[in-house]
Amino acid sequence: MILVLLSLSTGTSTQTSGLLRNLVGAEITVVNGTTPTFPGGSGGFPGTGGSTGGFGGGGFRGLFGAGNTLNESVVDSVEKVSGVYAVSPQLTTTGYVDGDATFLYGIDPTTYANVTSGLNIASGSMLSADDTDNPIVLSTTFASELNVTVGSTVTVGPNSTGGSSFFVVGTYNPGSTFGPGSSSAYVLLPAAQSIAGQANQVTDIYVKTESPGLVSSVASLITSTIPGVTANTATTVTGAASTLTGTLSTFFTVIGLVALMAGGFGVINTMLMSISERTREIGTLRAMGATKGEVMRIFMTEAFVIGLIGAGVGVLIGVAVSVALPYLSGSAAATTGGFTGGFAGAGGALRGGLETALTAGNLLLSLGLGVLVGALAGVYPAWRASRMSPVEALRHV
Amino acid sequence: MSEVVVQTLHAAKSYTRGRLSIAALSGINLEIRKGETVAIVGPSGSGKTSLLNLIGGLDTPTGGKVIVEGTDLSELSDDQLSRYRLRKVGFIFQFYNLMRTLTAIENVEFPMSLAKVPKKEQRDRATELLRAVGLQLRANHMPDEMSGGEQQRVAVARALANNPSILLGDEPTGDLDSKSAKALMDLLRSLRKDRQMTLIFVTHDPLVVARCDRVYAVRDGKITKEFTKKDIESAKLSEKYDNTMLEGIY
Repeated sequence: MILVLLSLSTGTSTQTSGLLRNLVGAEITVVNGTTPTFPGGSGGFPGTGGSTGGFGGGGFRGLFGAGNTLNESVVDSVEKVSGVYAVSPQLTTTGYVDGDATFLYGIDPTTYANVTSGLNIASGSMLSADDTDNPIVLSTTFASELNVTVGSTVTVGPNSTGGSSFFVVGTYNPGSTFGPGSSSAYVLLPAAQSIAGQANQVTDIYVKTESPGLVSSVASLITSTIPGVTANTATTVTGAASTLTGTLSTFFTVIGLVALMAGGFGVINTMLMSISERTREIGTLRAMGATKGEVMRIFMTEAFVIGLIGAGVGVLIGVAVSVALPYLSGSAAATTGGFTGGFAGAGGALRGGLETALTAGNLLLSLGLGVLVGALAGVYPAWRASRMSPVEALRHV
Repeated sequence: MSEVVVQTLHAAKSYTRGRLSIAALSGINLEIRKGETVAIVGPSGSGKTSLLNLIGGLDTPTGGKVIVEGTDLSELSDDQLSRYRLRKVGFIFQFYNLMRTLTAIENVEFPMSLAKVPKKEQRDRATELLRAVGLQLRANHMPDEMSGGEQQRVAVARALANNPSILLGDEPTGDLDSKSAKALMDLLRSLRKDRQMTLIFVTHDPLVVARCDRVYAVRDGKITKEFTKKDIESAKLSEKYDNTMLEGIY
């Protein structure tokens, strides 16, 4: 029970943090504070990127127009803020690859992976800053739409006609249909700047702090010390999602505690019953020469063993349920929606079902709690047993 | 005459029930010598089991002294009394009181594990004891798989586990048929001889009384009569279920 709840709880938070990573990709995103901003590279888009056909180039322009960029010099200022571990600039723009509209991300490959989860390269290689040959990395979806592979040459430009030649060095898995859109491409920062016609401009500066605990304080420090910028953190972006997970977590914990208490009383009751049934046995033990301490130890050991066996069996059942639950809820969600569907909707969950996470910590915690409760619940009955007068105990029929 | 093993001096025991104080025993004086077989008889409620419990160190007197092998039990702490029971006394009960979840041999080993006897020696001694009570072939049986007589013999082997000098029995034949009861008594008498033990029984059973060297009759918490071997023989108490003497006692 406990294990299932723990794994559900951990599962949902993992799900949510996975989501945050896809949304934001970094702990802090610094953007131009003077214009409406969007969290992260692609966060503004609900659901799948889908085919690029639906997006008009002009629309992208409107979203990421010249007004909301930052000068590259800000990167250095951000890097100097105390508590900042690493920074990486990005220019998000739109362009056309072989005539298909897409998001173009200009990044600095030397720092990019330090602050984000990086790109999940499927074939070929990641961009290299030393590559002077106009390298480009395409999402696997986009590459197959364009019918190009690693080694192909594509034409990239701000309009559907014309542009410069780029060399496809790799493809990457978008990871999900959410996050960095399924149809997107990464180029080196200067290349993106020239396509966008925004020299020395960036749209986002990704920041990693020295420790996760510093995130919110560093973010406010950046916002307050550097004029004209706003630092968004994962929490400000997805506060609602976090609250949801938090509530779920609390809910699971409360149910778990109730189950634990019920289990504890179960052990106490079982032990007390067994002691009254075995009163004469206790008398016999004392007659044979067992001291009070030894009787206490015998019954404590028994409670401990009951706890251990119970927790062991519970963990096994818990593992089985945790493994089975995502499948069960997945099919349930498809037909009934309900809780799992609701969650999928709220969080934009990718698999449309409950996710559970069995960690070693969860397993040990469940086992430990089970044994601890068993042992604790054995203390009082064992104490009662040891205090029994041997004469009275022997007389018991 | 051999040495005195058990001696009581004005031993008394009273229980408090609410405000009432009930005297179970008062002014008990007795002496039991090494190697003797002694029966304590009396009607129920007479205090005979209380007397046995005092001798066995399961209970402490509220007055007087109980001296076993020179040690005054009334001066011992609870843990010291436990050690005394472990080392010096073996108990057998009317309903055997074996651990139902343990095999015969494990039951015999149990008191040895309390006495911290090495595992190997436990097994050797338990095997030897089961052989002595004629149950070597039943070593791995559970109590529920054995007859009453067999269970009681396992209980005897268990009582002897730590080589006690005194064996106490509270109605040891009370739940046995006469054949098993006779066999048990013969076994106990032969063990006593081999081991120089003192046997003390609380009993109603003429079969037991007939095989004792002395009998104490207890009534209302006092010893009312003492019978010698000669008295027992002359009372012709035998296996014919002649209750004359017991009737005389009551």
